[in-house]
Parts: sequence; C-alpha cells; structure tokens
Amino acid sequence: MEGPSSRLNVVEAGPRKLATRQGSGGDSGSGGDSDPDAAGDIKTHFRVCRFMMETGVKLAMRSVPVATACVLYHRFFQQVSLQAYEPYLVAMSCLYLAGKIEEQHIRTRDIINVSHRYFNSGRAPLECDKDFWELRDSVVQCELLILRQLNFYVCFEHPHKYLLHYLTSVGSMVNRHAWSRTPVAETSWALLRDCYHGVMCIRHTPQHIAIATLYLALNSYGVELPVGEKEWWKVLCEDVTRSELDAVIADLLHLYDMEAKCV
Amino acid sequence: MDRELLKHCLVFHGESLLSKVKCEQKENPDFQAVISDLSKASYERRDDVKSNPLVEQFVARKADILFCPSWRTATHREEEDEEEDAAAEPYAIMPPLEIFMEVSYEERRAMLYRDLERGDVVIGRINNIREYGFFLTLLCTAVGLKRDIEDLELSALCHIREIPSTGSHDDPLSYYQTGDIIRAAVKDIDRYQEKITVSLQKASLSPIMQHIKLGVVASDELPKHYSLSLRAATDTSQTYESILRGCHGYHNPSVVDYLLEKVGISDTHPPSVMRGLQSQFFKEEDFASVIRKKQSASWALKCVRSGVDHFKHGRHVEAMNEYNKALDIDTNNVEALVARGALYANKGSIMKAITDFELALDNCPDHRNAKKYLCQTLVERGRQLEEQEKLVTAEGLYRRALDLDDASAEAQEALRKITETIQKSIRLREEALQKDQVTVKSGQTSADKLRKILKEEKRLKRKQKRSASSSPSSSPSSRSSSSSSSSSSSRRRSKKKKKKKHKSEQGSRRHRRVSSRESRRSEEEKGRKDSKEEEEEEWYPAPSNTSASFLNRKGGPGLEEEVEERRSSQLYALSADYDRSDSLCKGRKRGDKEQDKMKSSRNSPERAERENRGRDESRRSSIEENTRRRTSCSSTEAENSQKVNVNQVEVRRPDRRSSCEGGGYRNRGWQEHPDNGQMEKEGREERAERESSRSGGGSSLRSQGSGGSLTSAGRPRKDLPSNLLDIFSQIAQFEKEKGIKPK
Repeated sequence: MEGPSSRLNVVEAGPRKLATRQGSGGDSGSGGDSDPDAAGDIKTHFRVCRFMMETGVKLAMRSVPVATACVLYHRFFQQVSLQAYEPYLVAMSCLYLAGKIEEQHIRTRDIINVSHRYFNSGRAPLECDKDFWELRDSVVQCELLILRQLNFYVCFEHPHKYLLHYLTSVGSMVNRHAWSRTPVAETSWALLRDCYHGVMCIRHTPQHIAIATLYLALNSYGVELPVGEKEWWKVLCEDVTRSELDAVIADLLHLYDMEAKCV
Repeated sequence: MDRELLKHCLVFHGESLLSKVKCEQKENPDFQAVISDLSKASYERRDDVKSNPLVEQFVARKADILFCPSWRTATHREEEDEEEDAAAEPYAIMPPLEIFMEVSYEERRAMLYRDLERGDVVIGRINNIREYGFFLTLLCTAVGLKRDIEDLELSALCHIREIPSTGSHDDPLSYYQTGDIIRAAVKDIDRYQEKITVSLQKASLSPIMQHIKLGVVASDELPKHYSLSLRAATDTSQTYESILRGCHGYHNPSVVDYLLEKVGISDTHPPSVMRGLQSQFFKEEDFASVIRKKQSASWALKCVRSGVDHFKHGRHVEAMNEYNKALDIDTNNVEALVARGALYANKGSIMKAITDFELALDNCPDHRNAKKYLCQTLVERGRQLEEQEKLVTAEGLYRRALDLDDASAEAQEALRKITETIQKSIRLREEALQKDQVTVKSGQTSADKLRKILKEEKRLKRKQKRSASSSPSSSPSSRSSSSSSSSSSSRRRSKKKKKKKHKSEQGSRRHRRVSSRESRRSEEEKGRKDSKEEEEEEWYPAPSNTSASFLNRKGGPGLEEEVEERRSSQLYALSADYDRSDSLCKGRKRGDKEQDKMKSSRNSPERAERENRGRDESRRSSIEENTRRRTSCSSTEAENSQKVNVNQVEVRRPDRRSSCEGGGYRNRGWQEHPDNGQMEKEGREERAERESSRSGGGSSLRSQGSGGSLTSAGRPRKDLPSNLLDIFSQIAQFEKEKGIKPK
C-alpha cells in the first residue's frame, strides 16, 4: 500500500486546508491527470472508501455504521467537487458522524490515532499536542460541514437487514446440510460490505442490493433453489427485474476490477 | 480449498468455469492440490442454467477466498427457541417463501421428504384413532424445518408405544380425541414409502430441544409462521415485502446484530472478498484499542516526568496534580502510582502511599522501585503502629516488608525489636492484671475511683495526642470534638444528626435522650430568660459549689499537680461533674432533713441572688482564665480548646441543671472514645452510678427548686464569705421565730 503511506502530509495538513483545496490533485493517482473528472475521482473514492472500511474494522465499528459512513461520504461528494475538500478528512468525519447516527459512538481520538497509523504505518501514536488538537478540531468542523451539505438528512436505509431476513427465508428452502456447508451468508455479507466502495451503494435501492448480493452468492456456489411460478427474488421484492439485478451485479463486479487497478 | 464445494460449483457452472479457475488460480498451491481430481470429471453445462461469464470470472478470480475452509464462519446451529423467539420477535418471522413463489405440490412434497429429519417437530391434527395408535394430518412444521406443508396431505402415525402413559392401568389413547392438535417429534421417515412416524416421547427430541412440550396444543399455540402463511395464502395482496414491513421484529433497531449472531457472521472481523480487506491480515497493533493504550501510557509518562520535575523542585502540589493527571489519562499507570505513592509517603500519608504501591505492584509485580518503596513504607507504618501499641499489627507489617525484600536491614531490625517488645508487654500485662485484681478487691471509695479514672485518662490522652499528631484524621479525636461541639452550639440540629449518626451505638442512645431533654429544656428556658431575666435567677436554684470545689482542688495537693496544664479544664469538668452528682446524691438523701433549713432561705431571694452572682462570677473568671491559657496552646490541640469553649458556654449558662448534665454528658462522650478499651468497663460502671444519682438529683432539685437555691447550704464552704454565712443564719433564725411556712 504505497499509496496511502505516501499521503502522510495530506491528512496532517488537512486541518488547515478545509476550504481551500491544496495540490492534492496528484493524490487521485495515476489516472487523475489524464481523466480528471470521472475515472480519477472514482479511484480516489475507492481508495478513501477502502480507508474507511479498514479504519472501521480497526475501530471495531459494526457493518451498519461503516455503511452509513460510506453513504455519507458518497452523498457528500455528490454535492461537492472532490477538488474542493480533502477526501480523507471528510472520510474521518464521516466515520465520526456515522458512529453518532448509528449509536455506536467512536471517539475522535481513536479515529485520529488509527488514521495516523494508516498513513504512517509503524510510527508512534501522536502526542497530545497542538497538531493533535488541530486535527481533532478539523474533524469536528468537517462533521458540521457534512451535516450542512446534506441538509441534516443523515438517516439512511441499508440493505443489511433486508439481506439477513432474505437469508433466513431462502435458507429454509434449502436442505439444511447443504446450506450449512455452503458459505452463502458469509459471501453475501462480504459482497454487501464491499459494494460500499463505490457510488453504487447509493445508486441502487437497498432491497435490490440485498437481493443482488444474495443472488451472486447463491450463483457463485451453484446453490439451487426450488422453482415456482415466480422467481425467489421477484417474491422478495416486487419491483426488482432481471436487468436491474444484472446491473447491480455488474456494478459490484466492477468494484473488484477496480481493486486490482487501484491498490 | 473445500473440494466438495468447488466440485459442486463446477458442476453447476460447467466447463467454462473450470478453465477460468485453472487460469486464475495457476499459482495457488491449494488449488493445484485439488485440480487433478476435479479435472477428471467432465462438466457439461446444463441448459436451464444461464451462466454469466462475469460471474464465472469473479468466482474464478476469488476462488481462493470463496472456497477457503476458513471462509465459512457460520457454524450449523439447531434452531432452538423458535417458540420463545416468536414471543419476543427480535427479528421478522416470515412465512415460508415457497408460498409466495407458488412452488408446485410435487416439488414441495419431494422437498419435504428430502429434508425432514428425525428429531424435527411437527404439528398435526388427529384424524383417526386406532388401537395401535393414532394418525395425524400434518398442519405445519414447528422446529427444525420451516416449510409450508398444510396442503401436502401428509399423514403421520403415532404408535401407542410412543405415547407416554400417565397411569399404568390406563389406556394412553383414551386421552386423545379426533380433531386434537398434537405437537410431536418426528421419529422416523421412510423416504421411499413416504411414511412418517412421530412420537410423543421426550427421548425422540434432540438434547437441546428437551424443553419443548409434546402432546396436545391449543390452537393459539401454533407457530407464528404458520398463522402468517395462512393469512398470506388467503390474501393475495399480502406480499413478502408488506409482511416484512409489518413485523415488529423488522423494526427492531438491533435486528442486524441479532441476525448476524444467529447466522454466525462476525461483525468485528467482517468478511470481505476484497483482498486488501482481509481482516485477518490486519496487524494487531494498528487497532484503535491498542494504539489508545500505547498513547495513554506515553501521555501519562509525560505527566509523570513533569510531576517528578516539580517534586524535585519541592513543588509538591503541582507534582501531585501531574500524577493525578497521569492516572486520569492512564488508570493504573505503574510509574504514576509509584511516584504518587512516594509523594504520599513523603507527606506522611502512609496509608495512601501503601495503597498506591500495592496497586502498582498488582499491575507490575516486578517493579523494583515499587517494591523498595513499599517495603520502606510498611516499616514506617509499622513504627507508627508500634507507637500506638498495636504491636501485633505492626509485626505483621514488618513481616510483609520482609516478604517483599528479605534483604532489608531496616525491616529485620524492626521485626527483631518488636518481637522483644511484644514479649515484654505480654509479661507486663500479666503483672498488671494481677495488680488490678488486687485493687479491685479492696473497697473502692469514690476518690479512689476518680483518681484511677484520671490516671487512665491521662495515659489515654497522651496516646491520643501522639496518634493525632501522626495521623490527623484519627477517628477518636474527631468524634469527641464533633460530639461536644454539636451538643453545645446547635442543640436542635444535633438532635437530628445524632439520631442518624449514632443509632447503632448502644451507649449513645442514652446520651441522645439526655441531650434531647436538655435541648427541650434549654429552649424553654431561653424563652423565659428573654422575658424575665430577673426572675429567672430566683426561679432556678443557684449552682452548687462545683466551681468552688474545683477551685479548691486546684489549689490543693495531689492529683492536679500531676495533671498537665492544658488538660486541666477537662479534668475540671469531670471532677466537677463527679462532685456535683455526688453532692446531689447526698443532697437528695438529706433533702428531707434539711428541708426546713432550706425553706428558710427562700424568704431572702435578694440575698440568694447576690450570692449566686458572686459565685457565678468567680467561676466564670476561673474558666476564662483557663481558656486563656488554653487558647494560647499550640494549634495541634485545637479540638481540646474547642472543648473548653464548650465548657465555657455550658457553664456560663445560668441554668444549673443543664450545665450539670451537659458537663456529665460531655464527660461521658469523652470517656467513650473507642480507643480507651481498658477503661471502658469501669467508665460504664461509673456512668451508671452517676446516671442514677443524677436522675435522683434531678427530682430532688426540682422539689427544691421552689424552695430556694442552697442545696448545699448546710455543707461547709470555705469560699463563702463569712459575713454572708452570718447573715444567713440570722435570717434562718428570724424566720423560724416568725414561723413562716413556705408555699
């Protein structure tokens, strides 16, 4: 991971560059210069989301708060240009805010510590000095900025509980030994978490994402469900169509291609 | 790699996947191990499966993750508490999906015979009873499998052997009727003949489902998914989605956590198909809790360092603040604890120091400084205890110090000395005991008793002083001071306070009564005093000659000489009280005899008043003198001086009775130090005696109250001016002659 570690000064300089974008255009990676609008931004978002996920795991955040943080992040950058704000600082504030929204409060100190270590692996934790407090202040300030930018609309419906209910329903249609042998639940959960790397998590409705991840997991392992008049996914959600499912799956699979390119 | 799983997947996807996997997983040794087996079979793509090449690509690329045995975290768990879950409904319980999917009758029937297992619980209605058992038409499944079976026309036999009989002579079948709804466990299933046998015996249930009751159930006990499926079957407008949204469990805020646990997915080490997010490769020291710990330790250490710096420059308060800050940041930081302990020890708070060192050693048993300091502090504490003559405890501390550091010469020396002292003191005590017994046997006059008490008190006082100087918050002194101050300054408040404070203490109960009585009385008196101060002097008997007597005593030989100056006031209080009660006692006895004499004095109120004043005056001056001397004493005796002030207040009060009792009470409070165990017993005897005499005295006083003031008029008094005595006797003479009777 040479990318994040070389980005040390970005976060450390972050506090003072809340409103004015510094020359971190180069941060968006190799593709940033050639196609600054689309591909570069997507890659940057992918990396920042990866950062959020990893930080979330290290902060022992549950899946739903991390998902909320990612949705906050994506919605925020739907409104504003990536050039205007430091994405990693926004990501840190998103984690902090998501902890509050989902009732799993994460302390700024921990967020700063883990982030600092993410960018400077192996370094000693920050001292309790001016830099630390400035960083903390900017995280809190940025949180308010996000809230204002999103018009304080920060409650999102996530696919997680749909997926879990679908899993129990679908699982009971399968022979229990075959079901327990096949890690469909784990795979679909992993796919669901991974889909937050991209904007697809806010482009599709939660039910569709849940069904798509479940579908992909079942399909990957070749689990066969009983066939009735209606498809099982059609039953779970009335308005989902085959093409919609395919679109979600394509978006999701695209993210795995992105991983190879970005990291 | 999970070979079976991969094989199943390859069978499903066909040859194209195999080639892709081969291509993608070329360098995976795990895959190479299984590939030879898998290549042998031929995978023909089935027509009904539309395979997506993108999905195949994905599976092939991620095959090492997806088919890794450790990928599967969920362990197969029996669905235990279906019923209880339904009541609380932590998640949405949904009707079986095949109802909505409209799966065909044949397929569902085949699926049921495939999946139903021994030990599953089903619910059915009795449709036929025969002599060998009864037949059930199955309505729904209860535990184990969740399927829609109502219209499958499944029949199950429950043999008579499988029905538990309640009585030996009864026919178990007689308890069941056609139409009863029965919950039963599947005992056997014949998949070819399509025959199901069920049982009502507990033994047919799996061990974790033993709590499930088999037998007749009421119609409202049917599982929730069954009733939901009934509704869904009749009402086609009910979709899976609408039912899901209508469930309470769906709106449970922690439904995700609950179901995750139920499904068996860890949310702290969540799975990810992304290679960079394989949480098992995350370094432990990158996690927030680890970093925080490390950071706290380093921040705390910084504080400790600056604290030590302050300490070296003699700024102890700042040092203490820094140490406390360090401990706030990092509780149980060993360095901070040791440093603070050392500071406490320096400041003389030995107990606090010991606590800190012990805590430090708990966290880091091999900390050298902590050990060393604790050893020294324990020895120090031992010396303190030794001075308080708590020899055994002190010895224990020395031993502990030696345990910590057996090389400590200090501790060794101290231990050696204390063992000697203990032996010596045991010997002394034995001798003293013998002596005591002798003295007890000899008749005790009141003077003897008094002297003894005084001696005891003196000894005690010295001890107390010493302990007070070493540990300022030693309980006895604080208690005595508080009790005496509260008794005088705010009687009404003290009444309440005392009720709470000393409820459990036996001795204080009486004490409370006295003080409350006093307070009542003093209140009345205050009121009266305000309105007619002049009369009051007449109304109440003049104080006895207590002040005079102690003035005498002071000048006299014997006891007082031995007594330290600064203690004198207390002793006066004691002796005065003693004297007074004694005199009261006597007064009562001779009350009748002397009544006539006293009556005579009543006719000359002015004179008595004058006399009173004179006596009061003299007493006051003497006490003031006392206090002046007292207040000039060192500040360490603050509590004593306080006590004297109390005395002063008490004595100045014109009411004699209250002052008398107040004195007694104070005296007693002082005697009741928890420390003076040796004299406690004697003190109590003494007190009891006094108590009785006082109550007697009280009554006698009251009777005498109207009859003038001079309880002790008959007693010889040196301080009374001789001319006054003359006048007295003249008046008495005069009155006798006149024959005037008192009221």
